[in-house]
Amino acid sequence: MNAKLRGRLLVGAAVVASLALVGVYLAAGGSSYAPEKSQDPCKHRPWSNPEGLQEIANQFSISALDGAACQLGVTRETLARALATPEGRERFKERYGIDDAKLARAIRAGLLRAVSDAEEAGALSPLIAGPLRGTIEEIPLDRAIELVNDASSALGGFEGLLGPATNLLEEFLP
Amino acid sequence: MSVAAPRPRVAALALAVGLVLADSSVVVLALPDIYRDLDTSIAGVTWVLISFNLVMALAAVPAALLARRVGPARAAAVGLAVFAGAGLACGLADELSTLILARCIQALGGALAVTAALELLPASVGSERRATAIWATAGATGAALGPAVGGILTELVSWQSIFLLQVPVALAAAVPILAVARHEAATGILQTELRRTGRPHVAANVALAMVSAAIAAALFLLVLLLIEGWRLTPIGAAIVVTVMPLAAILGSRLGPLVPSARARAAAGAILVSGGLGGLALLPHADVALTLPPQVLVGIGLSLVLSALTETALGGRAPQAIHGGWTISARHAGVVIGLLALTPIFTADIAQQRDDAINAGTAVILDSKVNPLLKIGLAQKIEDRLEGEKGKVSTLGPAFEPLPSDPADRAAVEGLRDELQEQLNRGATHAFSPSFGLAALLGLLALIPIGLSRRVDL
Repeated sequence: MNAKLRGRLLVGAAVVASLALVGVYLAAGGSSYAPEKSQDPCKHRPWSNPEGLQEIANQFSISALDGAACQLGVTRETLARALATPEGRERFKERYGIDDAKLARAIRAGLLRAVSDAEEAGALSPLIAGPLRGTIEEIPLDRAIELVNDASSALGGFEGLLGPATNLLEEFLP
Repeated sequence: MSVAAPRPRVAALALAVGLVLADSSVVVLALPDIYRDLDTSIAGVTWVLISFNLVMALAAVPAALLARRVGPARAAAVGLAVFAGAGLACGLADELSTLILARCIQALGGALAVTAALELLPASVGSERRATAIWATAGATGAALGPAVGGILTELVSWQSIFLLQVPVALAAAVPILAVARHEAATGILQTELRRTGRPHVAANVALAMVSAAIAAALFLLVLLLIEGWRLTPIGAAIVVTVMPLAAILGSRLGPLVPSARARAAAGAILVSGGLGGLALLPHADVALTLPPQVLVGIGLSLVLSALTETALGGRAPQAIHGGWTISARHAGVVIGLLALTPIFTADIAQQRDDAINAGTAVILDSKVNPLLKIGLAQKIEDRLEGEKGKVSTLGPAFEPLPSDPADRAAVEGLRDELQEQLNRGATHAFSPSFGLAALLGLLALIPIGLSRRVDL
């Protein structure tokens, strides 16, 4: 075999090997191996057949986080981590230049969206939703955060929040 | 006056070249430890690597000229002494700035020693061609073994030990050379050997720079991916990246079968790019998937570096000056590769980490576990992110202790695994654009290789 042909064979083999590797990795999903992208919190996230208090509470929290995150222009995941601890909340406020009043407004808006979503999904009776909205409008920031973080205990013991509607809660939850 | 016998002298010169050129890559596996110990940024720690290569690139040709003027043996001995002294300073450095300064001084001594060695070797081995082969092989061996040796020392002792160990080795190499230096000073033989310097082979040196940029990126990025992204230990990463020099040995056996330097250079550049393309498209966070790309890069680098060095030095005199140009081109390529790619992947890694943590948090939020458990997890993740200043590659400890209830325990373990999978995805994906750009650099080297007919010597 002459020298020129050997050279061409070597270059050809290099091209084939390189294309084969890249092709196999592409076919195996190499171009899409990345973290899942966060969903836009302003986009409606439908509830999926909630059953029982805990599941309703879960979806209520998610809707509330979505609504608040949408108002603040952050992802619901960032907001969820920030609201988990008082220190996290302070760092979050500092990082995004948000004061307590703005945070409270956003969380109340999130809770109102959660009530509407629950109502739309048939998980909350309009008889409960009405007074609940009224309570949310007046709720202090710390209580609002508690409600977002753990809607189950709040929904399970709404004395302070619902007033006269308290006894009706379990009855109206599916 | 006695002069060191040729064999120990050749061994000392080869050791000196290997030691110095290993230094351009020996710290690659230690960078994550230096990054943590000196509490710096990824961009900052990259300068431990860049500073050495930058000074080598700038100093190689002037060092070769100096070596020819003062006498190569004297220059090599002084260069090794400076290299050893600066190595000691590197090992004792407790601040990044001190370490980088010492690395610059190390490179100055190293450039003097390496170029002087190429001037000394022909007299010791009897032929310029053989001297070039020994010089190139010693350099390639050093550069190939560097990361593995550095990784093992970092794991078994500390990153400082890499530099401290260089001190006795450099001094041991300097001893036989010192004897030649004394002889040289007594006889003044070198002054009669000065020859006119021919023009450097521009195309071969430009191609060397571009390919070196791609190879440096491959090595540096792969090590960071393995250690910082996938949490391998330095010794584990050292074992994984050993595939590249092993494949290079295989590639060196292919070389003699193809006489055309241009064909070898082109095939090598294509293989390096193909391997980097594979690393840019890893379909899963799995060490085994890095092996085929490493094999391509290893075979490719062996083919392309030897073909281009052979072309750059072939028929040119004096060898030390042209050797200086190849050293300069290779190290300039490393610097360009690191400077061009580091900002890209540091920005990508921060973005991907945020995306991964958000994706993992989303999994927790959407799960059906008890809300109080979710808040607890969110609290721990937030604390861990804050404690580590966001530099986390694993969030496993945030899930400890696991709940005692078997159902909750299984659910939390599932969430932990899913969050870790998202982090793995993020880390792997963060490196993709940089590997892709490095692959493009390797392909661009085909232009000077293809344009230069003189590559076919």
